[in-house]
Amino acid sequence: MKTKSIIRKVLLSTAGLVIVVFAGIEFYQHRHYKETVVIGDWVEVKKLGDYFEGIQGSVNDCNVFIIEGDEPGATSLILGGSHPEEPAGRLAAWLMVENARIQTGKLIVVLSANRSGTTVTRPSGAYPTKYTIPTSWGGQTFRMGDRWSNPLDQWPDPEVYIHCPSGQNLAYVDIRNLNRTWPGRANGTLTEKTCYAYMQLIEKEKVDLVIDMHEAELQYPVINTIVAHENGQELATLVSMMLTDFEGFSIGTEFSPKNLHGLSHREIGDHSDAVSLLFEAPEPFLDATRGITGEKQLLEGKDEFVIKAGEHGLLFAPMDENGWPIDVRVGRHTSTILQTFESWNEYYPEKLIVCFDVPRYAEVIKNGIGFYLKNHEEADNKTIVFE
Amino acid sequence: MDKLSIAIITLITCSILFFTPNESVAQTAEEPVILTSCGQSPGPVRLKIFMQRLKMDFEYNLMVTAKDLVKAKDAGKPFKTLIIVTGASLKGMGAAGVSIDDELARTKALIEEAKKQGIKIIGSHIEGMSRRSQGASSGDSSDEQSIDAVCPNSDFMIVKKEGDSDGRFTTISKGKDIPLILFELNTEISSVLTKVFNK
Repeated sequence: MKTKSIIRKVLLSTAGLVIVVFAGIEFYQHRHYKETVVIGDWVEVKKLGDYFEGIQGSVNDCNVFIIEGDEPGATSLILGGSHPEEPAGRLAAWLMVENARIQTGKLIVVLSANRSGTTVTRPSGAYPTKYTIPTSWGGQTFRMGDRWSNPLDQWPDPEVYIHCPSGQNLAYVDIRNLNRTWPGRANGTLTEKTCYAYMQLIEKEKVDLVIDMHEAELQYPVINTIVAHENGQELATLVSMMLTDFEGFSIGTEFSPKNLHGLSHREIGDHSDAVSLLFEAPEPFLDATRGITGEKQLLEGKDEFVIKAGEHGLLFAPMDENGWPIDVRVGRHTSTILQTFESWNEYYPEKLIVCFDVPRYAEVIKNGIGFYLKNHEEADNKTIVFE
Repeated sequence: MDKLSIAIITLITCSILFFTPNESVAQTAEEPVILTSCGQSPGPVRLKIFMQRLKMDFEYNLMVTAKDLVKAKDAGKPFKTLIIVTGASLKGMGAAGVSIDDELARTKALIEEAKKQGIKIIGSHIEGMSRRSQGASSGDSSDEQSIDAVCPNSDFMIVKKEGDSDGRFTTISKGKDIPLILFELNTEISSVLTKVFNK
């Protein structure tokens, strides 16, 4: 009897150990997977730590890509990866870095605004750790991420997160949410210090326009929209009207609530001179009533259970059997960025930003994202940056 | 063509003439204009952009009250047109610290005072179906409440056609005999305002 009990314990312990080892290997590979970015010789690469020492050497000391035009003009900061479980924002930023040319003004792009969040997926969420975008050379693989910073990098969470400087009480876990920790603190947590570093970047680079790219579940009312600080309401409204009229997709606007703190569209506008906008595209992968949370669903955006939720009037965006493919979501973001620049130029003709070679909505859908990604295997080593 | 066919065609023609929203009769209004919202949606900003470009004499106040209309009149510069953009935003109402009930009460008083002063009332819905049922939570009728508070009480309506895809505004137009101006593209707002205000 006693021998049987020992054998059972040994077997169970061994099974547990095997699971831990295999899971550990997968976690390690996810955390250390190197994504490639192929840049032109007109792109300058800095680190976030160049703007704030407190972030130097940390997991969030991410790359900052700078593309400057020949003529002076407006400076725009594009943030991808604030929430790394929303890949359209990162991929749209990727297309910007690998393709954009600037004639007038300066474009600053971040691919992994919360890099820590790209090294982990949601615990118990059964997310894929990576996803691959098909390309003519086979495909390019990216890390899937989480909404929050990796607990390995910032732990423990408090019982209640008290936002600084407003003092507003927020959900405990949001102390690791990059879009709840603006404007950040120099001596705060990793996520707060990251936001503080971006605020320093905004100040030092004299950024005029900040665009923070996100995705949202279809059961969340703030979707298919531009959320605008009051300093960008008219700009966002004009962008929304132009896109809806001429690019074949509908996008609305929402005002940034003055009493909801920690979000980029609120705090950047309040604590800097920059106009602050946040874009939301639809991502069925995030819906609570989704089916299998796999790479296929992530990229195709198709889900029969989300369609069923729509039949019951539970969605804030249309959903049918065509779903919301990643090309559509990324194309929405690139076109919204480009239209924002064009509308910006109408409002601020004395401070232009002129950008070209970035594909718009219809082009991204027609050719696919992979068409615009650069093959690192054929690229000169000097032009490859690891993200 | 037999008599029955002629009768049917005549009936259809009469139906179209009598029951289609009347867009052929030019609707006009005068400046100065007070532009506001019922439901604190961002819709009024769309009108504001074109009103600025047309250099119209207008005031943009999302929280304007009946008392403000009285003050303007007492100051010797009464408004001649009140435009109320319908559609509700939870973010917008939250930011303004009001509920849909507050908005309905403010709007009711505003319309009563406007009618008292002879101010022309234009009910508007600008943002399409995303500011209708498609954009509302299950059981949230605040978009529709704001439409009901304004449109049946207006002198005429300016509405984005896509937002009338279920015939909501056409029904109000026919039922209350309120002219309805529909536009398809957002950029057409400019020509609508130009015609209405003779710019």
